[in-house]
Amino acid sequence: MQPEKFYYDNKIVRNFGIATVIWGIIGMTVGLIVAIQLFHPAANMGNQYTTFGRIRPLHTNAVIFAFVGNAIFMGVYYSLQRLLKTRMFSDILSSIHFWGWQLIIVSAVITLPLGLTTSHEYAELEWPIDIAITLIWVVFGINMFGTIFKRRERHLYVAIWFYIATFVTIAVLHIVNSFELPISAFKSYYVYAGVQDALVQWWYGHNAVAFFLTTPYLGMMYYFLPKMANRPIYSYKLSILHFWALIFIYIWAGPHHLLYTTLPEWAQSLGVAFSVMLIAPSWGGMINGLLTLRGAWDKVRDDVVLKFMVVGLTAYGMATFEGPLLSLKQVNAIGHFTDWIIAHVHVGALGWNGFLTFAILYWLIPRIYKTELYSKKMAAFHFWIGTLGILFYAVPMYWSGFTQGLMLKEFNVEGMLKYPNFLETTMRILPMHVMRSIGGGMYLLGVIVMAYNLCRTALRGKLVANEAAEAMPLEPVYVKQTGDHWHRLLERKPIQLMIVSLLVILVGTFVELMPTLTISSNIPTIASVKPYTPLELQGRDIYIREGCVNCHSQTVRPFRSETERYGEYSKAGEFVYDHPFLWGSKRTGPDLQREGGKYGNAWHYNHLMDPRLMSPGSIMPNYDWLLNQTLDTTTTASKINAMRSLGVPYAIGYDKIANRDLDKQAKAIADNLGKDHIKVKSDKEIVAIIAYLQRLGTDIKANKTVSSNK
Amino acid sequence: MKPLKAILLFFILLAVQPVLAEDQSLTSAQLMNYWGYGAIMLMLVLFLVVLLVLLRTFKVLTMAIMGRKAYVDMLAEEKALKMKDKKPKVNVVEKLLSLKPLSEEKSILIEHDYDGIQELDNPTPAWFMVLFYSTIVFAVAYLLIYHVFGIGQLQNAEYATEMNIAAKERTLYLAKAANRVDESNVKLSTDAAVLSAGEAVFKQTCAPCHGDHAQGVVGPNLTDDYWLHGGKIGDIFKTIKYGITAKGMPTWEKQLTPKQIADVSSYIKSLHGSNPANAKEAQGTKEVDDAAGAPEKTAMVIKK
Repeated sequence: MQPEKFYYDNKIVRNFGIATVIWGIIGMTVGLIVAIQLFHPAANMGNQYTTFGRIRPLHTNAVIFAFVGNAIFMGVYYSLQRLLKTRMFSDILSSIHFWGWQLIIVSAVITLPLGLTTSHEYAELEWPIDIAITLIWVVFGINMFGTIFKRRERHLYVAIWFYIATFVTIAVLHIVNSFELPISAFKSYYVYAGVQDALVQWWYGHNAVAFFLTTPYLGMMYYFLPKMANRPIYSYKLSILHFWALIFIYIWAGPHHLLYTTLPEWAQSLGVAFSVMLIAPSWGGMINGLLTLRGAWDKVRDDVVLKFMVVGLTAYGMATFEGPLLSLKQVNAIGHFTDWIIAHVHVGALGWNGFLTFAILYWLIPRIYKTELYSKKMAAFHFWIGTLGILFYAVPMYWSGFTQGLMLKEFNVEGMLKYPNFLETTMRILPMHVMRSIGGGMYLLGVIVMAYNLCRTALRGKLVANEAAEAMPLEPVYVKQTGDHWHRLLERKPIQLMIVSLLVILVGTFVELMPTLTISSNIPTIASVKPYTPLELQGRDIYIREGCVNCHSQTVRPFRSETERYGEYSKAGEFVYDHPFLWGSKRTGPDLQREGGKYGNAWHYNHLMDPRLMSPGSIMPNYDWLLNQTLDTTTTASKINAMRSLGVPYAIGYDKIANRDLDKQAKAIADNLGKDHIKVKSDKEIVAIIAYLQRLGTDIKANKTVSSNK
Repeated sequence: MKPLKAILLFFILLAVQPVLAEDQSLTSAQLMNYWGYGAIMLMLVLFLVVLLVLLRTFKVLTMAIMGRKAYVDMLAEEKALKMKDKKPKVNVVEKLLSLKPLSEEKSILIEHDYDGIQELDNPTPAWFMVLFYSTIVFAVAYLLIYHVFGIGQLQNAEYATEMNIAAKERTLYLAKAANRVDESNVKLSTDAAVLSAGEAVFKQTCAPCHGDHAQGVVGPNLTDDYWLHGGKIGDIFKTIKYGITAKGMPTWEKQLTPKQIADVSSYIKSLHGSNPANAKEAQGTKEVDDAAGAPEKTAMVIKK
């Protein structure tokens, strides 16, 4: 048999590489801006499109789906062709994939600042974009499996197992977490409400970390690290064990984001138990990487690419040890909702995803341009400033997290909260927020230096768009070798491998999601909890649009420190009409679940206009446009109808008269504000959001008075 | 690298500085804790040192008793004996990690390669498997403890326990405490210390709504003769304590101590007739202040 000649497609790899660098710089710059906003409210720039609540999701989406996303495709398209000894299945599909993905990102960059958001973290994009993501993901899948089918290598290497698991799991996660009922071109409601919605979201959210930020990167590590170090992979057996253990266990861990909430406790405990079991499978990847470097540590001293890999792997090991630690109830009670979590994710994001991406770029760009890296010194500078940047980011945030977490729990001898005013704890951690943005700035500087260095490298060489290669074609029939590991069977059957991975991730999914979604006794109802009035519903959508959930949680945990501070702890039945749930994951400001009736309407009016009038020193941005913008009441009927089809008991025909009730309630609030000499027309958005804030958590307060009157 | 180190040091100092400045709030209890930890650490170090010293002493003693020559011979003999039994030397780290020496690597190289990448047939490290199995044991035990045997408290039970302990502590504290004031027994005070304590509370909690000089902003003017919910010291105490949530006055019971509420009530009374600038118009009913003419000369006395 003759070896066959073919060409690797390097152009698509180059394109994804350029996109990685550009979106990386944009995403991190937005990150730096939001970091500055957290100690300097003027950085919100006085308009609605650049306030924290709207551009924090832009930061997360840009770095996860644009920076890391493009880096994944760069790495996959480079390694897949070479591991399978073939060109990508279809150049047209590659191109559709590339441009489609960039278009999705651009649409995110436009819609998120406009306030078009579903409010689910890392899934904020509205339903038309969700559909586009699904389509492009399918294109990617066809292209990948097409390539696998025309391979010249019988067995799939471990990197490809990870790519396949990534593909199927992300598809499942994205589809299930996008069950939305559209009410207009850019507004939809999630099908599930309250506790169920929360469970679906964090099953998704946690596994987006697992299958977007972890598994594809492990796959890339398995290809690029042995290439860079010119060493064999340490243990094939370890690869098998940690691959299957990782994907099986990861999918269960989601509920650790909802500890001490109203999620049924068996689900919470499963989340904790499986998180702890994740330590070893996660570390499997790290030790297989670090031990691959055995015998090559002398190279690490000189080679900046390997330095990036070592720090990246170490950061991965730290983050995956800290994760299980944070999911223990006792630790979570302090760390959750604080900056500790921000530190934790950034060790993973900056260290693991960032550094691996940089290493791959430094290694791959000179190769596809057939030249040497422009400046090794600059790359070394990037490594050191980046590492320092991570330290300066993470250490102050850990410090800040402990400080605030403990302050919020402290009682004095009189049995009262030592810091009853939430703002006091915020003020204490502002210096740490300053430090963190310095760390972030250093990291960004490194990336900019890298961009320059890579540009000069590219200009020096010439892109080898089609790289010649040759390999023997596959024998039509495979003769089984004696002494083959049993797992080799699966490695030569890609479809079976995909199906088995799918089954493995569906086990945890079904066990955790199904009972909560289908058995009504898991969510006890409360008779006094009534649907929102039309005005409150509109106000709630403004709350969603402004991204209030990014800083304010709406779930009071059963701790003395929280019930003293906020009021009665949350009950599952309170959230049954919340499409979507708005529990949040971070308390930059206080919890708002029991906000209703705590302050007067005038207080809220002034506070939203300029928070510093009512709470001197507050870092909340001004929301003064709410005072002038007129509430769009043409959507009321369709919102009521949509809610009714989702099971909210509005009477049939109520959609037609809903605006009458809305006007009435709005007038009452405007009149009430008038008594305090605040002249406001009842059709302004501020009235709706005040109505919503004053409703929050009051259903159950009413219940309490009734029972105490008996 | 020098400038880099200097930068590092600078930033660390910058980070430490606010905390150094603010950490004077250590209570004596916390301080005692730190002393406690310090003492324990010191004890451990001392213990170690003593052990080392003892070991050395034994050696010296043996040498003194046996004589130097005999002692050295004995050591050499022991060493030779040990060498006999000993297998070829294995690096401890490599053993712990279940690593084969690099020289033997060829024997475990798996034949196939992917784009030049080869794999070794190393076993999964023993410590790794131990870690994995122990986390599985932990996970099973966790589920059993909380959901089968009921040993661990679920969250609502945990909350009940926490609240019970707090309630007991509070009863104990109140039994001893001197600030058991409520709306029925609060007395007006003109004591300077009380008023300045009240002023501090006022600036912190009341000023945003009632104005720096109680002239009224969102909330009503507190310096005129007109009161919405009563202008007697007990009425004011009650309004602050329970709030008038329907009208926007928050409940302060959980945030201020009874003493603080009493102080700020007295402070508010002391502002009566101060006629601040930009005063809000009168609200409520006019009340002739009974106490204003003849406030009690003594500081607050609690009778019960």
